[in-house]
Amino acid sequence: MSRRGDIGAMWWIYGLLAVLSLLWLVPVATVVMSALRPLGEIRDGWWNLAGATFTIDNFLGAWNEADLGSKTVNSFIITGFSVASTISIGALASYAFVRLRFRGRGLIYFLLISTMIVPVQIILIPLLPWFRTLGFAEGSWQPFLGMVLVHSAFGLGWAVFMMGSFMAAVPTELTEAGQIDGAGHFDIFRRIILPLALPGIVSFAIIDFVFVWNDLLLGLTLLDADHAPLTVGIANLQSAHLAQQDVISAGALLAILPPLALFVALNRYYVRGLFSGGVK
Amino acid sequence: MHEREAGWRSAYLFILPALLVFALFYLWPAVNTIISSFFTWSILAPWQAHDPDTWRFAGLGNYAAVLADGRFWNAALNTLIWLVVFPLLATFLSLLIALLVWEIGRGARFFRTVFVLPMTVSLTAAGVLWVLVFNPQFGVLSAALGAIGLDGAQLDAGPLQVRLSDWLSNPGSLALGPVTIEFVNLSAILPAVWALTGFGVISFTAGLTSISPELIEAATVEGASRYRIARDVVIPQLRGAMVIVAVVFVIYALRTFDVVWVTTQGGPGTDSEVVAVLLWRKALAFFDTPSAGQATAIAVLLSAVMVVGAYPYLRSLLRDRPE
Repeated sequence: MSRRGDIGAMWWIYGLLAVLSLLWLVPVATVVMSALRPLGEIRDGWWNLAGATFTIDNFLGAWNEADLGSKTVNSFIITGFSVASTISIGALASYAFVRLRFRGRGLIYFLLISTMIVPVQIILIPLLPWFRTLGFAEGSWQPFLGMVLVHSAFGLGWAVFMMGSFMAAVPTELTEAGQIDGAGHFDIFRRIILPLALPGIVSFAIIDFVFVWNDLLLGLTLLDADHAPLTVGIANLQSAHLAQQDVISAGALLAILPPLALFVALNRYYVRGLFSGGVK
Repeated sequence: MHEREAGWRSAYLFILPALLVFALFYLWPAVNTIISSFFTWSILAPWQAHDPDTWRFAGLGNYAAVLADGRFWNAALNTLIWLVVFPLLATFLSLLIALLVWEIGRGARFFRTVFVLPMTVSLTAAGVLWVLVFNPQFGVLSAALGAIGLDGAQLDAGPLQVRLSDWLSNPGSLALGPVTIEFVNLSAILPAVWALTGFGVISFTAGLTSISPELIEAATVEGASRYRIARDVVIPQLRGAMVIVAVVFVIYALRTFDVVWVTTQGGPGTDSEVVAVLLWRKALAFFDTPSAGQATAIAVLLSAVMVVGAYPYLRSLLRDRPE
């Protein structure tokens, strides 16, 4: 949008942007190079490219020895089921808030929306004893189920806020036409509302995926080593104070790639979803 | 009347699954946090509603203990540093970047992508990346400072101590009477700025596209400089976006945990321990110490501050309620 021909100012603007983006790219370059090169080489500075060798050993080390492979699987299990569950119960609830009248509607909506502001710490500490009471503390799949339910409860506020705003945008004429044809609420929900609100659902799915995948605090608090997600594995490697920068770098890249890939593939939906979430 | 009741019944069917999950895994734990903050308990011997044997009533004891604890006020100070530095820095940088990118034509997409992509990176991973950058042996920061002869440079000006090394242990401090601001907090804040600035860039960019071109054209015709236009015409139009961006950043700063946990673990000592980290340690570092009640008291205090502070934002979210 160069409105005037003052080339000097343009130079300054591009110069400043170049410096800033360099600052932003330095950590990325650092982690990529540290993950792809042997530790011995990066000790002299990863930017030293003379005689550089590249290897996938660090990824193998992270996946096998550091046990981040199984944690990656855990992350996919937790995130996949959490997103599916939050969308299912969230979409049903959104329909009720947008199209139906019922007692307690205002109060329930208020409580759900409050969770967007109240910090997760308000539920965190009693959850562990609560998991033991409910039998989610140990077992093969029970901890996963518990975690999925906690993420679902925590994501509901956002789910109702975002998907609700998309469902509210569906013209009432369409749903009324359905009612005249004798369709029940569930038919209207499934055949009319869901297909039309699909972009909103996809937006929410991406944001929830990124949110759940990136969670550290809940995983660290509630899950044992066999069920812990990737973020917990990386945080534990990091705090171990051992000089394992190569393996940690590879692990960090493993953790970064899935949400990044999703973002790049569905960028349009992600940004639109963020805007419906308060930035209008 | 009959029809209305039928409507209610199906409404409850739609809302029931959500309500059940929410009640069991949010509402009850939240209520549990509040009630158990008035009891003495540990993770291994928790306060339990159904078992009066576990009720060791402490009254306001947990709150009194927390508020009398120097470690709590240390954590509160570090959180306050977060509250001031993080939103200011992140909002300023994202506004600057959004404006700069908006000014250029060619390359706008590239630059915007560079700043927005870190938003998808977890704060855990962002912390790992920056620990590498801060590494004293092969980190970029030390190398760059070394190249201009400033690596390890020290400034000793009475209350102000600066050391351009040891970014994660002791980069210096500023003593202000009874309180000391530890600069190691900045080392934890920086990765968060790196990761979350993209949110501000997106928000401000959206705000910028909704400014009418006529407004800017008129100012240009009057001969206003690029800088004057940005300051007097464009930025006032971004007020709404600025409020939302600042509020979101403040909310993040208040409950920050991940990035501190990964970069400094709150250390050295408790120099960068924030409230969320202290809370976690009080309850979960040792399962059998009976200070979980104090941790829930801290959680209640933290949430109260958050709800009061962000209440206008909550109101604005509720205004969008579907009718």
